Amino acid sequence: MRPLLTLALGAVLAATLWAQQFKFNLEHLSSKASHSFDVSLNTSMLQFAAKFLDGKDPDEAKVKKLIVGIEGIYIKSFEFKNEGAYFPADVEKIRNQLKAPEWSRIVGIHNGGEKSNIEVWARNEKGKVTGVAILSSEPRQLTVCNLVGNVDLESLSDLGGHFGLPNIPKGKKK
Amino acid sequence: MDWLEQELAQALARKEPAAGFDGRVRARMHPRPQWLAIAATLLVMMGGGEAWRQYHQYQGYLAKEQVMTAMRIAGSKLNRVQMQLKGTEQ
Repeated sequence: MRPLLTLALGAVLAATLWAQQFKFNLEHLSSKASHSFDVSLNTSMLQFAAKFLDGKDPDEAKVKKLIVGIEGIYIKSFEFKNEGAYFPADVEKIRNQLKAPEWSRIVGIHNGGEKSNIEVWARNEKGKVTGVAILSSEPRQLTVCNLVGNVDLESLSDLGGHFGLPNIPKGKKK
Repeated sequence: MDWLEQELAQALARKEPAAGFDGRVRARMHPRPQWLAIAATLLVMMGGGEAWRQYHQYQGYLAKEQVMTAMRIAGSKLNRVQMQLKGTEQ
């Protein structure tokens, strides 16, 4: 009887934690996009995937290390047929979901030439970073990344450089 | 009743089988131990186990690919931010 009770309590706790994870509501963009790409990985899926990451492969080894503190990864990327298929108000709707005081924007980059914006938001709870959101808007693409948990931004960015993109040299510390 | 009818009646009369007849018939029906059934069960179990292992492996591969793709996307966005920041610094 006792193991059953423990199991039931564990399931309730897992369900509560799962329900507590912040997720974006992006319904308003689904109908406007011509294509969409979705990655949704909760804690158990991440743990399962970690078992298959090869520690001998440099990139996989880094990802394996990086996902230790991550509780969930939710990425949604929309592609649009034409420029102007989505409006600034659509992006604002997403931004409005990142409410203060928990969420704060740490970086915002606007590239006028490419007509693109990238914003990085961090979620702080009791002085601890518990999530990172990346909002990237381009004329024909909109990507929202939601990483739940403790995210090492430096390592993650480092991986971005490894994955086919040129990596930038680290600046000298003064 | 002529002799032919008598002969036929005698030949076709009901007779009780000899003692142990049913046992001998049953023994002939199962002459070997049930090794075939056991082997078949083992084979099915092994096949099922292997199928499950392959399915599990495939699911793991898919999950791993999803993680790598997610990291690739998030990492590339962050890398772009970092590049632009460095660009404005210089």
